[in-house]
Amino acid sequence: MDTLSARGRAVRVAVTAVAAVLLLAGTFWGQDDDFPFGPFRMYSTAPDPDADAPDTRVEGVDTTGRTIVLTEANSGLRRAEIEGQQQAYVDDPGRLRQIAVAYAEKSPGAARLTTVRIVIRWEGIEDSRPTGESRDEVVATWTGAP
Amino acid sequence: MSRVVSWLTEPVPRGRVAAFRTLIYLFVAADLVIFTPWVRHHASTPGDLYEPLLVGRLLHLPTPTPLLVHGIFWVLLAVSLAAATGRAPRLLGWTVFALYFEWMVIAMSYGKVDHDRVGLLVALAALPTVGRARHGDPTRTEAGGWALRVTQIAVVCTYFLAALAKLRFGGIDWVTSSVLARAIIRRGTELADLIAGVPYLLILAQVGIMLFELASPAIFLLHGRWRNRAVAFFYSFHAVTFATITISFAPHLAALASFLALEKVRPVEWARGFLRRRSGHVEPHERPVV
Repeated sequence: MDTLSARGRAVRVAVTAVAAVLLLAGTFWGQDDDFPFGPFRMYSTAPDPDADAPDTRVEGVDTTGRTIVLTEANSGLRRAEIEGQQQAYVDDPGRLRQIAVAYAEKSPGAARLTTVRIVIRWEGIEDSRPTGESRDEVVATWTGAP
Repeated sequence: MSRVVSWLTEPVPRGRVAAFRTLIYLFVAADLVIFTPWVRHHASTPGDLYEPLLVGRLLHLPTPTPLLVHGIFWVLLAVSLAAATGRAPRLLGWTVFALYFEWMVIAMSYGKVDHDRVGLLVALAALPTVGRARHGDPTRTEAGGWALRVTQIAVVCTYFLAALAKLRFGGIDWVTSSVLARAIIRRGTELADLIAGVPYLLILAQVGIMLFELASPAIFLLHGRWRNRAVAFFYSFHAVTFATITISFAPHLAALASFLALEKVRPVEWARGFLRRRSGHVEPHERPVV
């Protein structure tokens, strides 16, 4: 059998303990920014059983007037990434121009986007179940030169 | 204390480490191409949208450029495939860890952090410390035992600490909240829509998730067949999650294999044996005893 030296064992125990402490501290006081020691906060919020649910999308209007839903495939940006920076886009809608740039990079040959907007579709929820009703709200818009 | 230490370094066959190592490095290659291919899209994302994580700021990691992103992609792909053979385990192992870690910093620095890969990162950090391990070698190793144990702990933390995070961010109201209804609205499948239609079923599922996550460390009290059943239950939990809200947690699933007696899985040996028998060769134990 391969046994560890006393030193090898001590180093491993110490590394394990430090990582465990960091992970625990991240769970109680950390944020996503502390990756990989941040809290495992996927689906950890408790929205009210009767609160409408936001379903966010990003759409662009190109020079031909067509409306396109911007996805990871055609813009290289994930929806959750745009939601993660949503407040920054609301505070400074000019920032949405960057998404038009990302779209042009990712979809060469496609018509240029003249408008980019973040739309939230509020889906109705009652007793923690979807009601099937919804309404749209535009939270940020950028319009460039036509 | 000494019992905890011997539990942390409980020896396992080298063959298990070899098999787990091959699985993990093949997963890294598959992750690049199949599971999280969107990371590569950040090559064309404007630098203004890069918001580096704390670790990226501490290490002064550069703002991703197309050269950096495509460079890491191709080098990491080649090195992880080489590491899967088990050769130069320390050199190739540490290289994969460093490159994959940077790959993750790039992935998570545009406004969304994923929580499915702490187990994989721990496996990538621990495997190079084991050194050589040949497939099928029954010699037991404490260094290998530690690498698998810390991966298992990280996997269980992903459940247990997720329950604590739910209590921190959502409070006890989490179990009666509309969190699953929201998830289904955002990315639910037809199966999920069916489930959402049944009154109170989502709330029941939330109670079940909380109890399962809080109880997950109990897997360390189980042995043999019962432990395998618990692992099967963990995998089935993710199968249901994928079937309803299309979240795969793939890196976590690869790390979860650290609980299994992988040394018994010998696809290359099996293929060799099959080919030998086809060519008429008879193994000693297959000769008739007359």
